[in-house]
Amino acid sequence: MLTVNAHPTEEEMLLYTDGELGSRRAAQIRAHLSACWECRARLLEIEATIADFIRTQRQYVDSQLPPIEGPRTLLRARLSEAASKPRVRSRQWFIRLTFAEITAVLFCTVLLILAVSGKYLFHHSAESTASPFAAPSWLGTVPNPGLTPGATRTVAVSDVCSMPHEEVVAEVSPQLQREVFQKYGIVDPQPNDYEIDYLIAPGLGGTEDIHNLWPQRYTSQTWNAYVKNSLEERLHQLVCAGKLDLSTAQHDIATDWIAAYKKYFHTDRPVPISVQPGSPSSLVVRS
Amino acid sequence: MPPTDSIEGLSFPMIADATPSAEPSEIERDVMELFDQLRNPLLRYAHSFGIPMHDAEEVVQETFLSLFRHLQLGRSRKSLRGWIFRVAHNLALKHRHAQQRLCEITVDDGTIAERQLDHAPNPEQQLSFGQRQSRLLAVVATLPEADRSCLSLRAEGLRYREIAAVLGISLGSVSISLKRSLARLMRAEGR
Repeated sequence: MLTVNAHPTEEEMLLYTDGELGSRRAAQIRAHLSACWECRARLLEIEATIADFIRTQRQYVDSQLPPIEGPRTLLRARLSEAASKPRVRSRQWFIRLTFAEITAVLFCTVLLILAVSGKYLFHHSAESTASPFAAPSWLGTVPNPGLTPGATRTVAVSDVCSMPHEEVVAEVSPQLQREVFQKYGIVDPQPNDYEIDYLIAPGLGGTEDIHNLWPQRYTSQTWNAYVKNSLEERLHQLVCAGKLDLSTAQHDIATDWIAAYKKYFHTDRPVPISVQPGSPSSLVVRS
Repeated sequence: MPPTDSIEGLSFPMIADATPSAEPSEIERDVMELFDQLRNPLLRYAHSFGIPMHDAEEVVQETFLSLFRHLQLGRSRKSLRGWIFRVAHNLALKHRHAQQRLCEITVDDGTIAERQLDHAPNPEQQLSFGQRQSRLLAVVATLPEADRSCLSLRAEGLRYREIAAVLGISLGSVSISLKRSLARLMRAEGR
């Protein structure tokens, strides 16, 4: 325990001046400083060095910073362009197909669906009632384990955690997206309906392999792509915080992602993004 | 075009050309708001990796485009400042790596690579500073990269837990690194 006569270490002084100490320890150091001229002088030296560094760095670097107006205009234009494009990781491929190709693909795939999954056409659900030719009701909520068992690469936790989860998500190539839709017998996927999703996210060591990709519905009312994205992010955080084994995370999400969501969010229903812990409604950056 | 510290030649669109036809969405407005708050801190941080200013500017642009996609996908808005710095950190490393590769290909003797990774002010810049400031910058330039990143992030106002998340290190490592760097700066100042 810190007594009045024990001088705080340099590290403690820095933590104290940066407001990073617990309240109890901070109070002890404050009491010590009020009694110790020597430590107050040390603290002032630390503060003076910080002030010198900041002043010098700003003077040196800020003089080189270009005005913000041009970059702001450029970013606004880029955002506007990005907003007008379809979402990444989803269906851009069919826009590039010719009419003949679309017709051929539609015809073949409709036949395939009728032949293979006819029994599902008579099932109704809240998520799939628009057309008798719509995909079966389970489709888009969970992957077919026979078609999408999941595939991983050999990767160290440090590699997985060296980048934000979103940054390791690569865009699936149009060819691969086409193959996934074909494999699942989905014809004419509508804009904003599906995301070609990694069953095991790249941020968890999943690979861009047809055995790890499946068409997940954005429009499912309960267990949709947004919910799974939340799960992927949660698992990535747990793994990187050392609270969950990477292979367990891979296994759980590949086996039954809905069960995994319930397990790791401790709920039977998806938590709305707006009420998830730490989801502020505004984007004010706090110091 | 070879990398340069000059910002001349950067092509920003004319305002009239760039004005979007539709009203910006709420996400676009949020991103622009954050850009106004964080562009300079991010630019300073990206530049601290020794990449030219116009490349650092591109890193910042890419960072905010990533943020836009992040928000568009409805992902978490928790700890956004740390998230933004983490993305900028990774992109800056990527840019620098690409730049080094380019230099390895185009310059056999490596002089350009060395020049670009030299963080200390050049003789001309030193003239505009006092001796003490130049010495301080020289000490910063010789810090190990992880220490320099810690110091730069703290200088931009990030808390220790945010720095730890950006750099993928523990809280303890952050405080040890900052203590080490400040000790070196204090020695350089004769304290």
